[in-house]
Amino acid sequence: MSKFRLYLEENNRSPVKQLWREFKRQHSAMTGLVLFISFFVISLLAPFITPHDPYLQVDELLLLPPSWSAAGLVQYPFGTDDLGRDLLSRMIKGTSYTFGFALITVTGALLMGLLLGALAGMSKGVKSSVFNHVLDLALTIPSLLLAIIIVAITGPGLMNTTWAIMLALLPQFVHGIRNAIDEELKQDYVIAYRLDGANDWDVFSRLILPNIWEKLTIMVTMGISTAILDIAALGFLGFGAQAPLSEWGAMISDSLDLIYLAPSSVAIPGLLIFSAVLSVNLVGDGLKTAILKRRQS
Amino acid sequence: MSRYLLRRLYLMAFVFLALSLFAFSLGYLFPGDVIQNLSGLRQIDDEQRQQLINYYQLDQNYLQQYLAFLSRIAQGNWGLSFASQQPLLQEIKLLLPATLELTAYALLLSFILGIPLGIVAAFKPHSLIGKSISALAIAGYSLPIFWWGLLLIMLFSLALGWLPSAGRLGVLYEIPHSSGFMLVDILQADVKYRSEAFHNALRHLLLPTIVLATFPTTVMIRFVRDAMLNVWEQNYIKTAQAKGLSRGQVLYRHGLRNALLPVIRQIGLQFSTLITLAMLTEVIFSWPGIGRWLIDSIYQRNYPAIQAGLLVISTMVITINMLTEILHALFNPLARRG
Amino acid sequence: MNLSNYCSTHTIYCCAYTKYAAALLVAWLMLSGCQPQMPQTARSGLVYCSEGSPESFNPQLVTSGTTIDIISQQLYDRLVDIDPDNGDIVAGLATSWHVSADGTRYQFNLRDNVSFHSTRYFSPSRKFNANDVQFTFNRITDLNHPFHFEAGGIYPYFQSVDWANLVKKVEAIDDYTVTFELQRPDSSFLSNLATDFAAILSAEYGQQLLAAKQPGQIDRLPVGTGPFRFREYQKDILVRFYRHNDYWRGNTQPEQLVFDIVPNNARRMAKLFTHECDIVAYPRVAELELIAKREDVTVQESTSMNVGFWAFNTQKPPFDQLEVRQALGMAINRAAIMQAVYYGKATPAYGILPPTSWAYNAGLPAPMYSPAKARALLTKAGYPNGFTMNIWAMPVQRLYNPNALKMAELMQADLAQIGIKANIISYEWNSFRQKLGNYEHDSVLIGWAADNADPDNFFRPLLSCAARDSGSNRANWCDPMFDDIIGQALLTADQQQRRALYLTAQQYLHQQQPLVAIAHSQRFQAISSSVSGVSINPYGGISLQHAKRVSP
Repeated sequence: MSKFRLYLEENNRSPVKQLWREFKRQHSAMTGLVLFISFFVISLLAPFITPHDPYLQVDELLLLPPSWSAAGLVQYPFGTDDLGRDLLSRMIKGTSYTFGFALITVTGALLMGLLLGALAGMSKGVKSSVFNHVLDLALTIPSLLLAIIIVAITGPGLMNTTWAIMLALLPQFVHGIRNAIDEELKQDYVIAYRLDGANDWDVFSRLILPNIWEKLTIMVTMGISTAILDIAALGFLGFGAQAPLSEWGAMISDSLDLIYLAPSSVAIPGLLIFSAVLSVNLVGDGLKTAILKRRQS
Repeated sequence: MSRYLLRRLYLMAFVFLALSLFAFSLGYLFPGDVIQNLSGLRQIDDEQRQQLINYYQLDQNYLQQYLAFLSRIAQGNWGLSFASQQPLLQEIKLLLPATLELTAYALLLSFILGIPLGIVAAFKPHSLIGKSISALAIAGYSLPIFWWGLLLIMLFSLALGWLPSAGRLGVLYEIPHSSGFMLVDILQADVKYRSEAFHNALRHLLLPTIVLATFPTTVMIRFVRDAMLNVWEQNYIKTAQAKGLSRGQVLYRHGLRNALLPVIRQIGLQFSTLITLAMLTEVIFSWPGIGRWLIDSIYQRNYPAIQAGLLVISTMVITINMLTEILHALFNPLARRG
Repeated sequence: MNLSNYCSTHTIYCCAYTKYAAALLVAWLMLSGCQPQMPQTARSGLVYCSEGSPESFNPQLVTSGTTIDIISQQLYDRLVDIDPDNGDIVAGLATSWHVSADGTRYQFNLRDNVSFHSTRYFSPSRKFNANDVQFTFNRITDLNHPFHFEAGGIYPYFQSVDWANLVKKVEAIDDYTVTFELQRPDSSFLSNLATDFAAILSAEYGQQLLAAKQPGQIDRLPVGTGPFRFREYQKDILVRFYRHNDYWRGNTQPEQLVFDIVPNNARRMAKLFTHECDIVAYPRVAELELIAKREDVTVQESTSMNVGFWAFNTQKPPFDQLEVRQALGMAINRAAIMQAVYYGKATPAYGILPPTSWAYNAGLPAPMYSPAKARALLTKAGYPNGFTMNIWAMPVQRLYNPNALKMAELMQADLAQIGIKANIISYEWNSFRQKLGNYEHDSVLIGWAADNADPDNFFRPLLSCAARDSGSNRANWCDPMFDDIIGQALLTADQQQRRALYLTAQQYLHQQQPLVAIAHSQRFQAISSSVSGVSINPYGGISLQHAKRVSP
């Protein structure tokens, strides 16, 4: 949208600052960011801030209702599960599993994606063509299905799940990075820089990386939301985190048996997954809008 | 166009080659005995083992084994399921229609809801309606589907008792299996309780369809909204408006056609996600489709079934992907390049 | 759905109608959902929600209670039955019987005018007679019987009670008289004939299948004399039976009986509440109070002879060491298990035999909970730092253990206290049993429910060497001393003598601890209030012969 400007504004702030200014203006994005940061902090500090040991089974306090009901206790805000473990502590601990591991997964996938994407984007000819075809195949297999197959080979467990999802996310990342690099390589300034005698590495590190990081961040946010959902889904199906780990998806499937007695123990972990994914998506959407606006201004 | 088609076909052939290689290698990657994984037989005595080694050409090199694998797949000789000791292809034939039925209705629903809502959101981005549609879209986009399904079951089946919680049809109705598509089968069935059964099947369909349609609907809303906003910026729209066409005319004649063109491609891109979500939906609603079967197969360490399931689902996804791309190219000559 | 097709091509203008129509459709579906309109034919059927699929349709081949519940009492009859009230042996297909003085020859007089099922794959030309009895039991013992090796030649229950070495000959004296000649007296013989495993098959059907060269069908498409006949089986989805109209006991009401296969506990209860199921055999004990409050569901309760236990694979180190087994037994906090898993609806088990049995040993000491002593024992056994082990927890809910996975989680925490790292392992039920039969486990949480009132039913099928060879001895335990004691108890019919021997056997088990008995659970059953005639059977599988719908 071209805007009519009466006065010429001074507009030479750094791109990051401009982006932040546009981002800040969106309330939903800011809410998402605050939520995201809180999840991040909780997942880092989880071992220190749980009010109780998340694995401690207290025999006297089985299936304690949440504290807002008459029979609940203040010390156990969300009540306890059927083994007498504090649900709040388990959920806090679960943040590191579901949310924290999603971040790790995406970081891993991003690093590998950058390497492969750069190789693919910078190379030409038959090698690149074969590589692209393989990528096309990997892209058509649904990521969760791929993760499930990998888990079927390696056996269930949170670590295996992390690897599986990392591998499953990789094709999207490589694809996105490759396309972004491709686009950059077509720019005139790249050719100019090359004529100046720059080699591939110079072009990549000085021109391409600074110009694709915006696309990368959006890719990363999408990756995180997929990773959270996939980790939780695998946990729910019993292929991911194994007992007694309190991964959110696994917590839901544990509480399924108690759906009549303690519906909140199904509802709350789900709500957490939902808000974690929502926070990531809000940030991602906000970034997208902010980038668009920054380019237009 | 024919050059485009040729290129697509070549690509497809390559993708299938790679897929078959992957599926082939699974037989060796899975834990346990290779012969058992390939044949699906549980108990194998020595004599049988020798026969099977010959049959699968396990004494030959890997290329020979791979070729033998291809010819078996082509002949429909997919081995047995560990769990039931029945031919896998036969089992899949029974299950696939259930998944396709559910997926098709969900996709349809996502179009019916997603496109109009997306258009509305694009036109009134700052109104209450537009904002709530966008908010709903991002919320729906973030829902963990298994939890969403559980919530709906808790509300509509358990708390209110309005809708059944699982399955495709009340078990007391006995409908002969012909096409595998429940509604079609019921209409074709020669039974006294046909209309009750049809009604019952619809009630079973409702919740899973809504759950499965949630994600594609929100994607559709966001996609159509962005596409519409994008199209609305184009010069030809401004030209049309300048010519004095009414808003509705501009929208219908120029806006929609151009904005919805990429939607065709979207079906293909959506399909892969949809199948994954269908697997989870089937688990939640005990829907007897291929997704639930595949997940059960993993619980049962039923390796031949996992391999076959991967092959079928991926083939389906690839085919639909390619078909929609070709269709898209048919309508949009620009897409044939590159 | 045609509506929507129409609308998708005319996107915007008709979307208002679409939404309207969709809303109407939803409203219609939901409103009519409040009053399910079942057609006449469908209404006369009953739905039983089962926790698993049947492994086979021949009771001779299985031991799983899930399978027995589905197939045994519904499809078949036995020569003799058990009176559910007092556990006595009563007439079944045999009207009367006679035992020779030395206890090695049993003669049965058979009921006439009993017809086999007439199905789409078999039409009987004659009534039930002595040939069928001979055919049925020779299949188990006679290696030359055309069907003996049909399903691999393994008859787990019969092998676990050493049937093949016990029964010398089954002879048809005339059409309605049959004799069993035994190698030695066996006081549990009649009780074993009364179990659900001793179902009578049709010899004529066997001949027909042989002629058609399709012998494998005998265990897949069953023919029996029971109150229901087989209609169809959709794997992992449902089993459908129709009423057997010529049933000799008569008056079976439901025209069809459907076993809806719902492995998930919560989902099974959900189906009961939404009236998709009429009967749920094992409601979750956690929710009993909640269920009892509902008007549309009745809960039945009775004592039952069963035991839930934790068996060690005694052939695998370190479980071959007595100290290790004892240590593990002491490390477990049963009080927590009784509360968290059984919700107080069970009595703690001191040994495998439940207190209701006449051979119960009341002198067994109460199990001890002492992590400190357990640690000392482990140190003595050479594992001061503990070790890593598997706990296999069965994936389904059974009478004797409502939630093995949860029990395993409790134990996992208990074992961590004495330095043992336990991994919980679970497979789908049928794979689980298969792998157990191959003794792939370290230890397993499983149990046993009595098939008859005889105490032998708790010893030989569970812990004898014969049971180990047939793959049903979960402890993989074979001790000649123990086999000798329980073998002697079978040679006499005198209850006092038998009782003394069984007391010794229990004492011996307590010393050796091949397994840790955990609890004897109450048996519960939840049925829809619109169904009557379903009573709890303390022994063996459930019988739905008298079940009927009272109000539509």
